[in-house]
Amino acid sequence: MKSPVFVIAGYVLREAASRKFILAFMVGLTLVLATVALSLKLEVVDGALAATRLFGEVMRSNIMSVDVALRPVYRAAAYLVFYGGILFGIVACSDFAPGLLSPGRIEHLLALPLQRWHLLAGTFLGVMTLAVGGTVYAAGGLTLIFGVKAGYWTAGPLIAGGLACVGFAAVYAVMLTTATLVRSAALCSAAGFVLLVGGILAGFRADVSRYLEAGFGRTAFDAVTLVLPRLSSLANRAADLASATPLEKGSLGMLLGGVLVFGLGALSVGFWHFEGKDC
Amino acid sequence: MDLHVPAGSAFGLIGPNGAGKTTFIKSVLGIVRPTAGTVRVLGGSPEDPAIRARIGYLPERLHLPGTWKSPAFLATVARLKGLKPDTAALARLLERVGLSDALDRRIGGYSKGMRQRLGLAAALLGDPALLVLDEPTDGIDPMGRLEVRRILQEEVQKGVTLFLNSHLLAETERVCDRVAILADGRVLREGRLEELAKAGARWRVRFAPGADRAALAAGGFAPVGGVREEGVYTVDAADVAVLNAALDRARACGALLMELKREGADLEAVLLGAVGGPGVAA
Repeated sequence: MKSPVFVIAGYVLREAASRKFILAFMVGLTLVLATVALSLKLEVVDGALAATRLFGEVMRSNIMSVDVALRPVYRAAAYLVFYGGILFGIVACSDFAPGLLSPGRIEHLLALPLQRWHLLAGTFLGVMTLAVGGTVYAAGGLTLIFGVKAGYWTAGPLIAGGLACVGFAAVYAVMLTTATLVRSAALCSAAGFVLLVGGILAGFRADVSRYLEAGFGRTAFDAVTLVLPRLSSLANRAADLASATPLEKGSLGMLLGGVLVFGLGALSVGFWHFEGKDC
Repeated sequence: MDLHVPAGSAFGLIGPNGAGKTTFIKSVLGIVRPTAGTVRVLGGSPEDPAIRARIGYLPERLHLPGTWKSPAFLATVARLKGLKPDTAALARLLERVGLSDALDRRIGGYSKGMRQRLGLAAALLGDPALLVLDEPTDGIDPMGRLEVRRILQEEVQKGVTLFLNSHLLAETERVCDRVAILADGRVLREGRLEELAKAGARWRVRFAPGADRAALAAGGFAPVGGVREEGVYTVDAADVAVLNAALDRARACGALLMELKREGADLEAVLLGAVGGPGVAA
């Protein structure tokens, strides 16, 4: 028998598949990848990039090794996947939880033989499956295109995509918890945006704090950003990994640990609140 | 409130708007928790998934996924009930609720009545021991209501306990054998329909035109006033023998019997009597 968590996750994925803008996003992504695949020509000689042509126009003439030449591309792609993916996820997934918790649907679901936490866990799993699928498709497609064209294979973009998913998991945990408090897609996405901006600031908290006047404002900023996940730092590590730039020892582990603890904490609050809520 | 629903009965819950009927139903299903007291359903707690697996529920305003088709929706509900979806069984169930012609249509294109039928099919999944239906015929046309009533009666005959909340008192009267009247979160009256309707010793009789009023009056028949009540009388008879003796006397003086009915309050009158005054709705 399938766990109710997986059934709810399937429910969410089926809902997602019927959303026109999610389908449009996937079609758009496919078109971008296809355009890059068809219009980009890389001339590689003995592991060195001799020339790059985009739509027939020569873009690069100086000869350098392929991995070095592709670093900026992978770096840019990592940032795009990280921030673009989270932003799209916030918009596209904002109404899944409020939809499931809406009057007329929640009563029906709660009257079925499942636990309340199954509902939230299934929604979270479904949304994360969607996020991971989209990321693998985008990052994997890019890796495949450059791998085939340049003969340089790296898992960097996929790992960067994985980090983007971890960042989104923390953001969506807050959105899901918000949905248990207020059944509003707008407020859920607002909570996601606030966390994203807060997470970007948290990554630069030491730098930003210096520009604030000493006193209550700076103390409040330091206190708030202390508990927020360092999303901008995670994005930088994702870009470093994608471009095969060496990382500081232990820096990634600490970052991931912090983001995961924050996400689990936010989810726990949501589960606890929903467990005692009358619907 | 203290309410006991016997197993295998068809129980109707009626009362004015805001009486707490839907809240009561939600507490029966564990969707809301009572501030005090306990709810026991099918011998257990409504919070126990094993108990809820034996309950079929149709909410008042079921929100269905508009882009899905009904077999996919039912298959998902079946999985959530811990059942293995059986395509043929689901098709039979959809046929039973009258949706066999709409299998290939998206739920978003369904009428309100069709949505209710699909909700009823979802409630019937897995042969529940208890059916809790909140306004099951809302939006369904009269023919559809007849079909739904037939399905509910079949379920009750199978031994399923039916708990019905409907604002259509005639429907409650036709389907249910027991009724509770709820107002302000309290049970005002509860019992078998006949008991609530206070069927007494008075009978309503209609004779063919031309009956001798004086002779009938001498025989214990009191005329009922009103132009539309021509030929209608009431007679008090403690038992069937007394009633038949009175009818024999009427026929002996040339009166021809057309209609005989025991006087009793209908459910609407019972409800109005219980909550006090007009302007109430179930």
